Amino acid sequence: MSQHQRGATETQQELSLLSVRDLTVEFETDRGPLRAVDGVDFDVERGETVCLVGESGSGKTVTAETITKLIRMPPGRIVRGVAELDGRDLLSLSERDLRAIRGDRIAHVFQDPQHALNHCYTVGWQIREAIQVHEDVSDAAARERALTLLNQVGIPDATTRYDDYPHEFSGGMKQRIVVAMALAATPDLLIADEPTTALDVTIQAQLLDLLESIQTEYDMAILLITHDLGVVAELADRVVVLYAGKVMERGSVYEVFDTPAHPYTQVLFDCLPGRGRPLRSIGGTLPDLHDPPPGCRFASRCEYARKECHTGDQPPLYDVADAQTASCVYYGPGGDPDALRNGQSEGDPDG
Amino acid sequence: MRWYVARRLLWAVVATFVILSITWALLYVTEQQALTSIQFQAAVSGGDAEAARAAYEQQRGLDRPLWRQYADYMTNMATFNWGYSTSRGQPVTAAIADALPYTMMYSVPWTILTVAFGLSIGLYSATHQYSRFDYAATFLAFFGYAIPNFWFGIVLLVLFGVHLDLVPIVFDPDAPVFSLANARQLVLPVFVLTTGSIASLTRYTRAEALEYVEATFTKTAKAKGVSERRILLLHVLRPAAVPLSTILVADLLGLFIASSYLVEVVFGIPGLGQLSFKAIQNQDTPLVLATTLVGVFIAVVGNLLQDIAYTVLDPRIDYGDR
Repeated sequence: MSQHQRGATETQQELSLLSVRDLTVEFETDRGPLRAVDGVDFDVERGETVCLVGESGSGKTVTAETITKLIRMPPGRIVRGVAELDGRDLLSLSERDLRAIRGDRIAHVFQDPQHALNHCYTVGWQIREAIQVHEDVSDAAARERALTLLNQVGIPDATTRYDDYPHEFSGGMKQRIVVAMALAATPDLLIADEPTTALDVTIQAQLLDLLESIQTEYDMAILLITHDLGVVAELADRVVVLYAGKVMERGSVYEVFDTPAHPYTQVLFDCLPGRGRPLRSIGGTLPDLHDPPPGCRFASRCEYARKECHTGDQPPLYDVADAQTASCVYYGPGGDPDALRNGQSEGDPDG
Repeated sequence: MRWYVARRLLWAVVATFVILSITWALLYVTEQQALTSIQFQAAVSGGDAEAARAAYEQQRGLDRPLWRQYADYMTNMATFNWGYSTSRGQPVTAAIADALPYTMMYSVPWTILTVAFGLSIGLYSATHQYSRFDYAATFLAFFGYAIPNFWFGIVLLVLFGVHLDLVPIVFDPDAPVFSLANARQLVLPVFVLTTGSIASLTRYTRAEALEYVEATFTKTAKAKGVSERRILLLHVLRPAAVPLSTILVADLLGLFIASSYLVEVVFGIPGLGQLSFKAIQNQDTPLVLATTLVGVFIAVVGNLLQDIAYTVLDPRIDYGDR
């Protein structure tokens, strides 16, 4: 992990692998437009793991699926923003150019392995498709490569399982196959959307180990979407905390776990069991995204909210520490960060 | 797979056997029209009605034991010795062979047009949900669905045949199959029949395809970089084809068993529908039986093909048999 961090600081001056700026996405609904993602900024550097963290409905998945325009449009609509891969904006690319990026440079793994594979085709066929879409290789060569991938992701007896259908595999095995498919064209960035949520705990750990090992082997960046802070601690180099479509806090995994800055991040850690403190739940619900209230999105649920938190726009991301920023007035000019429980919510990323 | 097909095939044979047996039993208990009239004539002319009956039964072999009659009937059925049509003065099989080409003339174009338009309009509607095209297709589908075929046929015939004089009103059975004249007289029947079937197939295709357009595996395919067209044909249409094939076979049966009567009578096409219709009117029992059995065999064979198509289209279906 230290190697990744060094890599991150070295390339700070150069172009990031992926750079998302001011990403804003709306969905047309019966009740009018719903702004699922609102001005989200973050970067992913080569070879590092960035975790998008947040509760259900915070816009994690929409953010991830907008990068290669996988969301359905309509009803979805990209209001503004860019998602640059090596400085080239993906959102303004033609469908044809974008297709050449999908799977080849940016691959996806989705949450639900039960339905991620087409039940009409053998797993071999589906991996071969992923290879041959981007590379003009013979069926035999694609088969060889697919078998290598299946072996790599730990499918026992790959040669005979190659011609089996998805329903003949368990959930964990299916997710391994999905990962194999994602690796087909050796992508630079793997976007994994809650890859372990639908799996049971022992399988989760195996899959996370697999992701870690292939990351090292392929020197691939991972954008991991999760609400599981345990997974974040395990894999992340950097963390982006989302709430109601806005970035609340960004920072390295050490900073965010040691000293969570934003009140939302702080209570998020309180929701984590097994930290020697009484378990808490966050009162209230997400604000209505059809008509979000003015000020900070979290203000209505925040115990430190002041009058200014309920007016104007979401506060900008103020610097908290070295590479940690938080969207909270307490870190702005005239704010008093010590008024928050800063430092008390100590979380050990390896613990 | 092989075992599954074998079982289906066996089941089709059993089903045919059961259907034929029930038909035989029904015929056996039904009052014989010809016999009644013979007895009546005998009584009127001062003869013995009972003697006439005995003579009739002996002539037809109805005095033999039941099992012999049944075995004979089954043998005749199996060897296509389906009896003689009194109203047409020719063997039943010959009458069917004469009528079948006329039914084919509109049912073959019907099948091609229904599949081509129903699938493509439905798929386009599903991928462009709530677009202007989708709304227009929905409106037309409900129109085609709601309008009764026989009424629509008469209206079109009055409009295009009588007032505009674009198509002949009387069907000419002697027109060569592949000729402009034949095409002109088949346009309206085919149009009337396809409006309804394209409408229903469009709606089903749209609904089925929508399920898979939004499926995670479609998103996986898109994320792999697969083109929209390939996704539509391989990842959406293939799984959707399972329920759609069921609907198509049901539609085809509906065509032979119900629609063909109405359309052939309205347009005067001497096909199977009209043959059957006239046989019923003339109380020509062997011909009624034969035309009904043609529909039954189409149903049995259609279901068999459908079951086999299922396993080819969706590999999960024969899984339980391995």
